[in-house]
Amino acid sequence: MNKSGLLVRLAVVIGFASIAIGFLSTQLFYRLTVNQEVTIAHQSIESLYKTIEATAATAAYLAEQDLAQEVVDGLSTNGVVLNVSMIFEGSDTRLTANEHAFNSPVVFPIKSLFEPDKFVGQLLIEPNIEFIETRARQLAAENSKAMALQAMVVTFVAIFVASFLITRPMIKIARALHETTPGDGSRLVIPEFHDNSELGLLVRDVNKLLDKTEDQFNQERKLREEIEALEKRFRMLFENSLSPIILMEPSGNILLFNSAFGKTLDKLGLQLKKSYGSLLAELFDEPGQLDEVVKTAFENDEIATGEFKLKPHADNDSLWVQVVITSIVSDDMREYYQVTLHDISKRKRDLDLLAYQADFDKLTKLHNRQGLEKQLTTLMVPDNRFALVLIDLNKFKQVNDIYGHKAGDEILIFVADRIKKTIRPTDFGGRWGGDEFVLLLKDVDKVQTRQLVEQLVKRIAKPYYLPSFETNVVVGASCGVAFYPEHSNELQTLLHLADQAMYQAKEVKDSQPDQFLQFAPLPGNPECSHA
Amino acid sequence: MNGTIVLKMLLLVGALNTVSLASTADQLVVVVHKDNPINELTRSQLIDLYMGKYVAFPDGRRAQPIDIDNDSKLKEQFYLELVGMPLNRVNAYWSRVRFSGNARPPIQQGNQQAALQFLATTDSAITYIFASNITDDVKVVYQFDE
Repeated sequence: MNKSGLLVRLAVVIGFASIAIGFLSTQLFYRLTVNQEVTIAHQSIESLYKTIEATAATAAYLAEQDLAQEVVDGLSTNGVVLNVSMIFEGSDTRLTANEHAFNSPVVFPIKSLFEPDKFVGQLLIEPNIEFIETRARQLAAENSKAMALQAMVVTFVAIFVASFLITRPMIKIARALHETTPGDGSRLVIPEFHDNSELGLLVRDVNKLLDKTEDQFNQERKLREEIEALEKRFRMLFENSLSPIILMEPSGNILLFNSAFGKTLDKLGLQLKKSYGSLLAELFDEPGQLDEVVKTAFENDEIATGEFKLKPHADNDSLWVQVVITSIVSDDMREYYQVTLHDISKRKRDLDLLAYQADFDKLTKLHNRQGLEKQLTTLMVPDNRFALVLIDLNKFKQVNDIYGHKAGDEILIFVADRIKKTIRPTDFGGRWGGDEFVLLLKDVDKVQTRQLVEQLVKRIAKPYYLPSFETNVVVGASCGVAFYPEHSNELQTLLHLADQAMYQAKEVKDSQPDQFLQFAPLPGNPECSHA
Repeated sequence: MNGTIVLKMLLLVGALNTVSLASTADQLVVVVHKDNPINELTRSQLIDLYMGKYVAFPDGRRAQPIDIDNDSKLKEQFYLELVGMPLNRVNAYWSRVRFSGNARPPIQQGNQQAALQFLATTDSAITYIFASNITDDVKVVYQFDE
């Protein structure tokens, strides 16, 4: 049984209370009984005196010792009397019944029989306190027994009633409540006979509380399920996004990312880690560009967006992404960056291809006229020097007429190949159109130009074997040169001068084949054109 | 003997009074032998002599109280006036005392004359009589105020 259980406590309390009350009331009753007995004793002593008063008065009056002794002895035989003494007035005679000392005797003055206002002696009666107390104790003891019995009966009745009516139903309720799990639908049962009692009310209230709790549980469960479903969808959206999505702190700490980001990291050969620097700097080929863009956009409260190249790794050397960075401020006023990377590599490649196709000649893989013009534009800046060489093939038309376009194309590819092999890495070569080619030679003087062009022409003039016709063909080249910025710093003028020089060479290709290279005349120095 | 004259005159007045007021009840007086040196007794001294406490006069001489036995009216009146007790209680007292003690009750004389005769021959005697019966041989030592 539970030591601090209600029933045990109740029994202990009632038991102790009844013992205490029994003890106190016994004590009280004992005191009362003693007092009462003492009073009774005094009364009986008084009435005793009354019965012998006349005799005592006679004895005292006559100073009759024998008579007095008889009175004294007679009185002392009574149970309530311990000792008796008589004193005669006006004499030392004192008669006592025995040796017991007088502590608090009852004193009766003996009146004279004949003169009521005259005293003839005193009678001292010492009550037998011990006797009185013994009698009182006996009475008290009997009473105590009765009281103890009564207390016991009351205790048992109280315990039984309390247990049957209060404690047991309460314990039952408590146990039932203890075993109840809110939400399992179970309810407490109102104990018998307690329909209208506080316990009944308690059970009803508890059941109401359980109802409410259960309702709340159900609501919460429903809400949780909804949230879970929503979260699932969000997760689906997030995880299945092809584009990497990252939530990070402005410091660069990554808080959340999806699987697409992991794949991108794989492509870049990077390990998964907490931070890649602010704004994912480690991922980009030129991180500074992104910083600039973000700074500008955020200053204007805009979403930062831009296209950037990722750091090359292995065979992934041209991964491009469109970066979208949104600054998010949470409810607790903390700033986060939401970063989305859209892979635009394919589009970039397509665009590059288009750009390539626009600037390069498909056949010879050299710059075409548009590409060359772009290069010229970039080269024609102050402090830059270069030579513009125009080359026109000789005898190409005949080869084309005799062996067809295919053979002509082969010749063109052959020439382009010679150009690529001859020019320096800093130079540009291109096909101007038809059988015309252009060289852009950087930082060269006339001598160097002549040297390079002569070498090229020598290579072009070597016989070329046409496998499908099993024959060798030979083409030549006429070249015109103009220098930037010596001749002009205008593109059209420069082209025109180079073109004129080339025509000069063309005119003498049969008569003076070694004069295949002509320089445009410098302004105010026309002879130089033939140098 | 001036005192005696005064006393006699007083007695006369008293006798006259008694005669005039009541013919049935005479004035009671306590008398001793005329040679007894005691002139006066207090009421307590008288009670002590008659109730057996003392057997001597206050001066130490022997005293013999006398009761008038046959004139029960006189005796009853005397005890009623002396201790306020009827005769039966006085008798009860004496019977108790006689049974256990040493005290002796007064000597009984048949009437006032016998008592006076006894008194004439006994110096120590003391008795009570009606004032009308006072003789020259006795001396009044106590009288009851009516």
